[in-house]
Amino acid sequence: METFVQSIVSGILTGSLYAMIGVGLTVIFGVMRIINMAHGDMVMFGMYGAFLSITFLKIDPFLSIILWIPIAFLIGVLIYRFLLKNIVPAGELNTLLYTAGLSLFIANLVLLIATGDYRTIKLKYAIMPLRPFGIAVPIPLAIAFGMAILITVALYWFLVRTDTGRAIRATSQEPEAAALMGVNVDRTAIITFALGTALACAAGVLLAPSLYLYPTVGEILVAKCFVIVVLGGLGSVPGAIAGGLLLGVVESLGAVYVSVPYKDAIGFVIFLLVLLFRPSGLFGVGKS
Amino acid sequence: MKKIVIALSLILLFTAPLIVSAPFFVHLMIMVLMWTVLGASWNILGGFTGQVSFGHATFLGAGAYTTMILYLKLGIAPWYGIPIGGLVAALIALPIGFICFRLRGPYFALSTLAVAEIIRLVALNWESLTNGPVGLLITTLPDVTFRGRSIDWENKIPFYYIIAIITLGSIVATYIMSRTRLGAYSLAIREDIDSAEAIGINTVQARVAALSLSAFFAGVAGGFYAMYLRYIDPDAVFSIALSIEMVFIAVVGGLTTVAGPLIGAIVLVAFGEIFREIFLVHFKLVGHLIFYGLMMMIVIRYLPEGIWGRLRLRFGSQH
Repeated sequence: METFVQSIVSGILTGSLYAMIGVGLTVIFGVMRIINMAHGDMVMFGMYGAFLSITFLKIDPFLSIILWIPIAFLIGVLIYRFLLKNIVPAGELNTLLYTAGLSLFIANLVLLIATGDYRTIKLKYAIMPLRPFGIAVPIPLAIAFGMAILITVALYWFLVRTDTGRAIRATSQEPEAAALMGVNVDRTAIITFALGTALACAAGVLLAPSLYLYPTVGEILVAKCFVIVVLGGLGSVPGAIAGGLLLGVVESLGAVYVSVPYKDAIGFVIFLLVLLFRPSGLFGVGKS
Repeated sequence: MKKIVIALSLILLFTAPLIVSAPFFVHLMIMVLMWTVLGASWNILGGFTGQVSFGHATFLGAGAYTTMILYLKLGIAPWYGIPIGGLVAALIALPIGFICFRLRGPYFALSTLAVAEIIRLVALNWESLTNGPVGLLITTLPDVTFRGRSIDWENKIPFYYIIAIITLGSIVATYIMSRTRLGAYSLAIREDIDSAEAIGINTVQARVAALSLSAFFAGVAGGFYAMYLRYIDPDAVFSIALSIEMVFIAVVGGLTTVAGPLIGAIVLVAFGEIFREIFLVHFKLVGHLIFYGLMMMIVIRYLPEGIWGRLRLRFGSQH
């Protein structure tokens, strides 16, 4: 029983970060119909950001998120404005291929600068895990979980309450109608892409103390992102949050009760099943 | 004119290692030809049928492991093993096709990515068959006498001729396919799958057939890869990066063209290897694939029909 609770808890902790990455991917897809293969590389960028902060600037990685979110937002604006904007009208498949090229470009750029060495971030206060109720909770993951919830709630508030947020949701539902209602679709697209990029990067900063860093880590992460957003229904924010938590829990239960080596495969099997039998996602809210 | 070009290319293909025999160049040409086969394989599905697969490494890996395991465990020589590897890849393609072709467009692409990852994890963990992450290694290749002389496998030139024949096979197969009923069905599916279905084409069957043909050549290239490098492990032959590289070769060369994959392979592999040499030898840096990413972005932006797709019109060729 204790193992069961333990794996549920660790699953939810990791899942909250998966959810953040997934939300970024899903809003980008919802508004622009871009399946962004470079999304995982934005997470990788955030991870290296955290690493840079602690090694060179001596700033705690969790604090450095204040620095990296605006930088990532700006990078998102630049990528969309100068690279993606002209590609999107060429169709979903061309955009998919283009972002695959972008992903390879970013990963190899980092590989050139940072080399392929595996790196870790060691935090002084994070050696021993917390033990509430006899369940081991690693401190970095606990902090990351708290911050992920804060960021996700803030994002939710932004999407539901602000005019820009409403414009994003409107464009996601029906771009033409949104444009007719006076939504500046172009501006909305830029903001959405930058927002998605910033979310991915923030998740990377939060994940960095718990994972190994290497330049091609985005490859695995982006595959997981797709699992998450398809589980929740492409384009749906609540779906991506649920999908992220679900994948986290399934992976950690799978590692305990099925097998450690196959824990990553479980996610992909579920992914295929959902794609085949529930193409609009488990909750039936996405667009197929 | 066209016949002269084809004849000259053929002569060049079979005399190239005699003209430049420096090992680095022969290796470079072998790599270019191997990637031509892989690009051609991807083009059969991604170009002619319009189904973007992000999981073609599955078939390369299946061919590589089949050839390697047949040779190591059963002593079956690679010249049987390589075509058998292709057939195994084509067989594996059948269930994958029937599952994934229920999906369309980007969803199909994502499903192939998932299947490829599942298969990579299986290869990584099925240690009794694949030897897991340690990989499989062969030290010697069987003795073969050709015209009374024993072939020296330490030399790269015999490998060059083997891959040259495979390349020719893949290009001829693409050409033949483009002129058969399957080719016509494929083009119809690529242009508009609903209309294709409406005029009575069994689109699932046609797409599965194209996938199998495509997988066969990827498997054959995989078998060759295993024998040429003499070492394979799951991350080397089943990786996402490998699948993506295949896509890039075909797209950069020009989709739905017969000669496109060759052009794509020449541009990407030759420049990529040269970049690798410069980066690794002079600066001790890895990351030459940056060039692949850059080329892909430039091509999609400015040359969506690919390099050969644009050039062929200049030369008045339809292939």
